[in-house]
Amino acid sequence: MATPAPKPASTPAPGARVTEIEIGALSKTFGRGAQAFRALSDVSVSINRGEFFTLLGPSGCGKTTLLRLIAGFEQPSGGTLRIGGREVAGLGPNQRPVNTVFQNYALFPHMSVAENIGFGLRMQRRPAAERRETVDRMLRLVRMEAMADRRPTQISGGQQQRVALARALAPQPRVLLLDEPLSALDLKLRKEMQSELKRLQLETGITFVFVTHDQEEALTMSDRVAVMSEGRILQTGTPEEIYNRPADRFVADFIGDTNFLDAVVQDITATHAVVRLPGGARLAANLPAGGGTAAGATVTVVIRPEHARLVGDSADGPADEGAVLSGQVERSVFFGTDTHVHLRLSDGTPFVVRRQNTAAATPPPEIGREVSVALAGGAVQVLRN
Amino acid sequence: MRGASMAERRVRSFSITRLPGFGVIALATFVLLYVPIVTLVVFSFNAQASMSTWGGFSLTWYEAAFNNRQVREVSIRSLWLAVVASGLATMVATLAALATTRTSRFRGQTMIYALINQPLMVPEVVTGVALLIFFAAIRVQTGYSGMGYLVIAHTAFCIPFAYLPIKARLETMDLTLERAAADLYASPWQAFRHITLPLVMPGVMAGFMLGFVISLDTVVITEFVKAAGQDTLPTYMLGQLRRQVTPEMNAIATLFLALSVVAVTIFFVLSRKRA
Ligand SMILES: Nc1ncnc2c1ncn2[C@@H]1O[C@H](COP(=O)(O)OP(=O)(O)O)[C@@H](O)[C@H]1O
Ligand SMILES: [Mg+2]
Repeated sequence: MATPAPKPASTPAPGARVTEIEIGALSKTFGRGAQAFRALSDVSVSINRGEFFTLLGPSGCGKTTLLRLIAGFEQPSGGTLRIGGREVAGLGPNQRPVNTVFQNYALFPHMSVAENIGFGLRMQRRPAAERRETVDRMLRLVRMEAMADRRPTQISGGQQQRVALARALAPQPRVLLLDEPLSALDLKLRKEMQSELKRLQLETGITFVFVTHDQEEALTMSDRVAVMSEGRILQTGTPEEIYNRPADRFVADFIGDTNFLDAVVQDITATHAVVRLPGGARLAANLPAGGGTAAGATVTVVIRPEHARLVGDSADGPADEGAVLSGQVERSVFFGTDTHVHLRLSDGTPFVVRRQNTAAATPPPEIGREVSVALAGGAVQVLRN
Repeated sequence: MRGASMAERRVRSFSITRLPGFGVIALATFVLLYVPIVTLVVFSFNAQASMSTWGGFSLTWYEAAFNNRQVREVSIRSLWLAVVASGLATMVATLAALATTRTSRFRGQTMIYALINQPLMVPEVVTGVALLIFFAAIRVQTGYSGMGYLVIAHTAFCIPFAYLPIKARLETMDLTLERAAADLYASPWQAFRHITLPLVMPGVMAGFMLGFVISLDTVVITEFVKAAGQDTLPTYMLGQLRRQVTPEMNAIATLFLALSVVAVTIFFVLSRKRA
C-alpha cells in the first residue's frame, strides 16, 4: 500500500522555527542478555524544518543507528520519535515521509537512471504525467539530463551519487537522511558535492540530516551539528558554538586543535567565571551551558591556538602587553598559511600558538627561547567536568 | 634474472598439469565419455538396421520415431511432467531460498538447509521404494491413480537442484537494494515484485532449467512410482531396449540429448549472468 503523498516541506517564514523531528530519550540496544550492546542511550534532540543538521562523531558512535531509527529500518528500544508532529514508532520505512541516500548509493541495477529516480513516485501511485515532469525536474536539478537512459553501471561514482540524491528527493520527503554520502568520493569530487548538496538543500528547502565523521565537512556545511560519542549526543549547536564554546573535553578534542589547561575558579556568575591559570594570571572565562561548577573548583579550560598570540611578536605594542602565560619554545611546524609554535609552559603543560604567515611576518622564535603568550578576549572556555 | 627463471622452472616442474601420465588419463576419460555418445549419434543416421555396419546416411529412424504413436505419447508425458514438476519445484525452491537468505539467522537454519538437500544424499532407490510404499497406501485409501504421484515425486526430487542456483543468486544480491525500495514507499510485496524478483530471475530460470533436465532424465524414481500406462521417455526406452534394439532408439536418444544440451546451456548462461 502506498502512503499518502507527504506534503512538501514548506520553507518556514524567516525567524519562525518549526520542529520537524523531535527525538526524546531515544535508546537502542542490540542483542540480548550477556551480548546486549547499547548503541544509543538517552538521545534527545529536535531538528528544525528546513535545517541542514549534521550528526558528527567517530566511527562506531551510533550515527548510522540513529539514522536507521529515523528511517524506520530499526525500531527503538525506548524513547519517542516524532516526524512532522506524528509519532512514528511502529511505522515501517515505507510509511514514513523520509528518504535516505545510502552510503553505497543502492541504485537499482536493472533500472535506468530515470526509472531509478521515478521509483518512489511510482510506488506512491502518482499520475504518470506528474511522474514524468518530476523526473525531468530532478534530472535537471542534479545535472544528469543527458544520462537519463543509462544504467547505473554505465555512469561514474560521482554521477551515481547524484542519481541517488535525485531519487531520494523526487518524492519530496519531509526529511532527507544522508549517511556519509561523500566518504567514497575523492577529495576534489567531495568538495564539489559538498557545495552541490548545500545548493540542493537551499533550493528544495527539505530538512537534511547528514552523517559524517569529518569535522571539517560538518563545520562548513551545517546549520547545526550534534557531536556524538559512544551512543550519546554530547553537544548540539551551530558550528561556531561547537567550535568556540565546546562544552566537553571530547568535543573540544574532536573538533580542531586545542590547548587544555587546568585552572581554578576564583569567582563565578551565571555565564562567566574568573579563573586562575597556571602561572597565576587571572582571566574571565566562558562557562558551559548548565554551569555546574563553583568557586574554588579546579576545572579544565580550553584555548584555541589561533586565539593565542606571542607577546612582542608583532612590531607594534609594548613587549609585555596582556601577557598571561609564559613558556619555552620547543619547536615550530610550518603549515603554509600559518605556523604552529609549540611551547612548554612553566608548569610543564604543552601549549600551541598559531601564528599567521603574512608577507611581512618575521621568522618564528628560535627553539629554547622564553616567550610570553597573550589571549584574545573570550578565548578561555571552561569545560563541563 | 637467471635466479628468477630458475625459480619459475622449479614452480613449473611441480605443476599438477604437468605430472607424467596426466595427459593420457585425461584423454582416456574423454574417450570413455564421448566415443559411445558419438557412436550412438552417428548410428542414428544409419540407413541399415544395424548397430555395427554403416549403410549410408538416412533419416529413416527419425521418421520411424516420429510416426511411432507410443514414442509421441511418452515424449509429451515426459515434457509435461518435467515442466510441471520443475515449475513447482522452482516455486518452492525460490521461497526456501528467500527464507534462508533474507531473514536473520534463525534456530535450525542449518537443519533446514540439510532437509532441502536431502534428495542429494539419499540414494534414489531408497526414495523410490519409500515413495512406492507411501503412494500405495494413499492409492488404497483414495483410489486415485493419476499423474499426481509422479508430479509430487519429481517435484520433491527437483527442489534441491532448483534451490542451489537461486540461493547462489540471492546471496550475491545487495540487501540495501530492498531497504532502498522500502525507503521509497514500496510495501514488502512491491519491493519483492519490483526489486528482488527481477534481480533473482536469472537464478530462478537457471533453477528451472536444471530441475527440468533432472526430471526429464530420472529413471529410478519414475520406475517405482509410475502406474500402468504412465511411462516416461527414459522408462519407455529402457523397456524397449530389453526387447529389441533398433536404431530408432538411437534417434530418440539423440533428440533427447539435443534437448538436454540446450537446457543445460541455458542454465549455464543464466547462472553466469552478473547480478
Ligand atoms: N545490527 C547490529 N547488531 C549489533 N550491533 C550493532 C548493529 N548495528 C550497529 N551495531 C553496533 O552499534 C555501534 C554503532 O554503530 P553505528 O551506528 O553503525 O556507528 P557509526 O555509524 O557511528 O559508525 C557499533 O559498535 C556497532 O557495532
Ligand atoms: Mg555509519
